Amino acid sequence: MSSHLPILLFLVPFVMGVSMPILAAKRRSWCQHLTLGTFGLMLILSMVNLQVVLTEGPIEYAFGGWAVPVGIGWLDDPLAAIVILTLSFVSFISIIYGRVVVSSKLEKNVQYYTLILILVSGLVGVVFAADLFNVFVFLEVAALTGYALVGAAGGKSLVYALRYLLLGSFGATLYLLGLSHLYVATGTLNMADIALVLPGLMTSTAVAAGLIYIFLGLSIKMALIPLHSWLPDAYANAPSSVTPLLASTVTKVALLAWVRIEYSLITPGVEVSHVPVLVLLEEIGVFAALIGGALALIQTDIKRMFAYGGISHIGLILIGVSLGNATGFVGGMFYLINDAVMQAALFMIAGAVLHYYRASTLEQLRGVGRKSPWLTAALVVVAVAMVGLPPTGGFFGKWNIILGALEAQHYFAAFAVIASTLLTLGYFLRIFACWFHQPASVEFKPIEISKSMRISLGTICVSMIVLGLMSDSIFQFLLASVASGGA
Amino acid sequence: MIRPHDSAIVRTLGRIVIPVAQLFGFYVLVFGQFGPGGGFVGGVVIAASMILAILIFGIDSPDSTMARNILHGDGLGLLIFAGVGGLCMIGGGQFLNYTYLQIPNLDQASQHFIGIMLTQIGVAVDVAVTGVSIAISLSFDDDEIPQDEGTHG
Repeated sequence: MSSHLPILLFLVPFVMGVSMPILAAKRRSWCQHLTLGTFGLMLILSMVNLQVVLTEGPIEYAFGGWAVPVGIGWLDDPLAAIVILTLSFVSFISIIYGRVVVSSKLEKNVQYYTLILILVSGLVGVVFAADLFNVFVFLEVAALTGYALVGAAGGKSLVYALRYLLLGSFGATLYLLGLSHLYVATGTLNMADIALVLPGLMTSTAVAAGLIYIFLGLSIKMALIPLHSWLPDAYANAPSSVTPLLASTVTKVALLAWVRIEYSLITPGVEVSHVPVLVLLEEIGVFAALIGGALALIQTDIKRMFAYGGISHIGLILIGVSLGNATGFVGGMFYLINDAVMQAALFMIAGAVLHYYRASTLEQLRGVGRKSPWLTAALVVVAVAMVGLPPTGGFFGKWNIILGALEAQHYFAAFAVIASTLLTLGYFLRIFACWFHQPASVEFKPIEISKSMRISLGTICVSMIVLGLMSDSIFQFLLASVASGGA
Repeated sequence: MIRPHDSAIVRTLGRIVIPVAQLFGFYVLVFGQFGPGGGFVGGVVIAASMILAILIFGIDSPDSTMARNILHGDGLGLLIFAGVGGLCMIGGGQFLNYTYLQIPNLDQASQHFIGIMLTQIGVAVDVAVTGVSIAISLSFDDDEIPQDEGTHG
């Protein structure tokens, strides 16, 4: 039965999402519990999956019994397994958290929960997919539900959802164009199969153009600077209850799709018309990390600030995976998992502040710190993780990226990681300055933080520290998987 | 807002064309295994026939009953698809491996036939539902669509 785990992980949220309109037709209040139960089941399955993958090796799942180059295959390797575990965990926590901040309009809305479940199943598909076309299909499943969820708050958010839709569809079209180039050049869509044929074809203009189109398309999806413009507005105006899930997963999974393509198709040192591809990607990452951090520093709205923080971290991860050595790659991947958890925590705090104190800008945050120990503690832990101090996972990710950069003797990349860390510290200092500052005019009433909020904030903060403590074993099996050729 | 068409020619022709289109859609769906066609195309043709009924007779008319009712089946096609795949998994094979489809007293060829047929029907149902609901949501305001007590909302 264990060989069916990948498809089970996909089917659980998918079937539940599809049958939600029937199950909850008469009792709308069941939606939330059913969704929570589904993600709980997914969480257990993904733990089992990680255990199985680590003990018995990667699972290759061939749909319909057709062997891989002919049929459609999914690959469940250690990297996929741990990303799926992170995804299930973040989804589960987001729903617990969503019980508190969800607006009354969405609370009993069947479609809202259906969209969340189908979003997660689409993301699971992207993570497992082993061929380029499957990645496209599942990216679109996830993106289409993402557009709808961003617009679910109504009002202004619809405008930003429409912009997200236009840009996202443009990205998907570019990706499709690029993949058709690769298909024409190689005659196959399976990533492992393409990787066998491609090294001899790197001089072909069609292949280079195809890879560029794929990269541009995925850059829009992962909000890589300068193609990030849809993200801050979309996430700042999306319903608070779903932003932790969207912000932590959608861009990261698009990045993961690119990492798989990059890792299997672009070998270190490969050059297209005298341009070293990996170095170019690394420079783009440096640019994104620095500009994203600087843009976060000048924001006044906290959700937008956190959104730009996420954008700068996408650059950091891209630096890590483009260094061309295992240390940097593993650091980047570990940071991707960390960043998913940190983004979820950041948007939870932003949503909670908005929910309890109606505060969304830095000015309005004045004095919140004195009234809410729970939120303050959570913010401090997230800040430590975002800046990258030792007990948390953020430190070990950044440390390995820097080590990888030094190993590759790319000192500018190492400098960029440190500079973006300083920028992160800068914008958290701005938040803390307001957070602990005596209120200028309004005095907040002390508000009872509900139990669901305490559980979700507490769990996610603990998980950031646990990721740091477990970093060594995670590095070990990621390194083993990189060394054995799969990633 | 779409109003019923009052031209006798359109209404009479509609009564002739719609059943033929539906039959043709069903043929394309079933024939998909032996030639061009299949669930997606068949679903589109069936959806087109129902949209035609809405355009000619209006959404409230008894002739559009099928188009109104099919909106409730939005998850049904996917459930058929996933259900067939799940039955194959229960039988011990991979998802959608029809060799393991557990239907007693069938040889392997028939298992494959039934399996692919059912999944194609699932695809057709969903494509038809999507087509009709796109047409309806583009042409009516929310409060104009006649609904039964909140099962689809």
